[in-house]
Amino acid sequence: MKPRLSLPSPLRFTRSYATRLPERPPARAPDPLRNNPHAVYKDLPENVTFIHRPPPTAPSPLSYTTSPASPLLQPSAAPVDGPLPPTLRKDKGEKPPVSEEDIARIRQLRREDPETWTRGRLAAEFNCTQWFVGKITSLKRADRKKVVAKVEEAHAANRDKWGERKKLQADIRRKRKEFW
Amino acid sequence: MGYAQRKVANTAAKLAHVSSQHLKALPPKHLSAGSSSGAPPAVFDAHSWAASQPTLRSTLAAFAHRIGLGNVVSSPDVIEQAVTHPSFVQLHTQQHPDQPLPATNASLATLGNSLLGLFATEFVNSSYPHLPTRVLKAAVSAHVGPTTCANLAREMGVTPILRWNRTSSTPTQNAVLHADALASVPRALTALVYQHRSLRSARRFAEKFFFSREVDLRSMVKFRDPKQTLLATVEKFGRERPVSRLLKETGRYSQSPVFVVGIFSGADQLGEGFGSSLKMAEFRAAEDSLLKLYLTRQPPHLLQLPTSTFPDAPGNVFDASGAEETYAPTSLGDSEVLYGSTGRAGVRVPGARSRAAGEDSDLDIYV
Repeated sequence: MKPRLSLPSPLRFTRSYATRLPERPPARAPDPLRNNPHAVYKDLPENVTFIHRPPPTAPSPLSYTTSPASPLLQPSAAPVDGPLPPTLRKDKGEKPPVSEEDIARIRQLRREDPETWTRGRLAAEFNCTQWFVGKITSLKRADRKKVVAKVEEAHAANRDKWGERKKLQADIRRKRKEFW
Repeated sequence: MGYAQRKVANTAAKLAHVSSQHLKALPPKHLSAGSSSGAPPAVFDAHSWAASQPTLRSTLAAFAHRIGLGNVVSSPDVIEQAVTHPSFVQLHTQQHPDQPLPATNASLATLGNSLLGLFATEFVNSSYPHLPTRVLKAAVSAHVGPTTCANLAREMGVTPILRWNRTSSTPTQNAVLHADALASVPRALTALVYQHRSLRSARRFAEKFFFSREVDLRSMVKFRDPKQTLLATVEKFGRERPVSRLLKETGRYSQSPVFVVGIFSGADQLGEGFGSSLKMAEFRAAEDSLLKLYLTRQPPHLLQLPTSTFPDAPGNVFDASGAEETYAPTSLGDSEVLYGSTGRAGVRVPGARSRAAGEDSDLDIYV
């Protein structure tokens, strides 16, 4: 054996011969073609890989009855498994259901005096939504037309006060909505 | 081809085709003879004369063989009847007052129209069990309606052999245009196949010519308020209330944002849609959810049609006897939702007024 240096105790655990960098396999950059979890790779002869990368567009609504795309046609609903994406608007929570007597009273009031007991006033009075009041009551066609005409008159008076730019913006928004 | 050339070609196609065989009939007898003392001088209208000449037997036979009915019909006279529109009778009597009236395709076209309506309705209904009624009607019109029949007649090559006369609308009759006259011919041919063969053969004729055509159902489904419709539909299926959730977004406060919204019923995603605003994306997601339901199709190899219960033997439906195919009725899709509640909808529900006047059970008419 070659004579070794005798070093003080904290340094005894060092190596006294020249050390080399550890041998590692050569660094390979990640394959830039293998970057999509939804891609399907197929090996073809002559060292060729066929990659099918579906575009991130909306899926087609067409499907067969044997494997329907709509979950409504699946036999049962999927169980909630983990967190779901965030809602668009804050969930205010459902209001308590309106009792049968209250429903009858709402209909009676709406029938008797629709001008005083509007949908908004009834909704506030009976702790439900205006939509629900509209669902359980309705005016006769002639009365409904009168109310709609009055509201439309008020809106038209407001629209007359608009300037050119505001009118243009409203037209643009209406046209955009046609293409939704 | 420019517009002018196309117009000349279309006009020339509508004019009668006169072959050299018809020259033997010139000049017409009523012109060559001396005019009687009191009668006004007869004017020779070349177009009307050409249009009222009989069609060559060979042309009719060639047409019959071209569309595959060469061995089905007994003689070219039957084909001539099928291509003669009732408006032609007036023209024929003007030109040949001494000859018997020509046979027209009026009753054949009516029978064929009913048959085509039957085949198309059962085909579309069995293929798309969850389609709403108004879309079903639109699809049936797209498959066997007047426009399709006229286009099909042009493709078959009926234009040179069609016998018709353009008439303007009168208080008692509608106008007869070229498309109306053309449309009567495929209907008459379907009726001929039924009369000479069987109902199943007529259905095969319709499948070959009408149901092989591409019809885009997605463009026929139009929504007034898809969110409201989806709400009622999900309630009908007994699932949780639909909730809109934001799946992806980019550029929210920029000039061109993109939002991808999905509508969920519990943990199931019913549909998704993209848009440049949250409301637009939600609207499209509701549309996509309903389209996924409505456009669910029965695979062609599993299609069950009610007319398969008729035997595939010659004869009409009353006389034909033979083996019947099995038919397993599919459950009727109950996905359709009537819009709105009492009084607000554009849909009139039968008995709504008497019920509304009687008692306060308005909720029964909703959905």
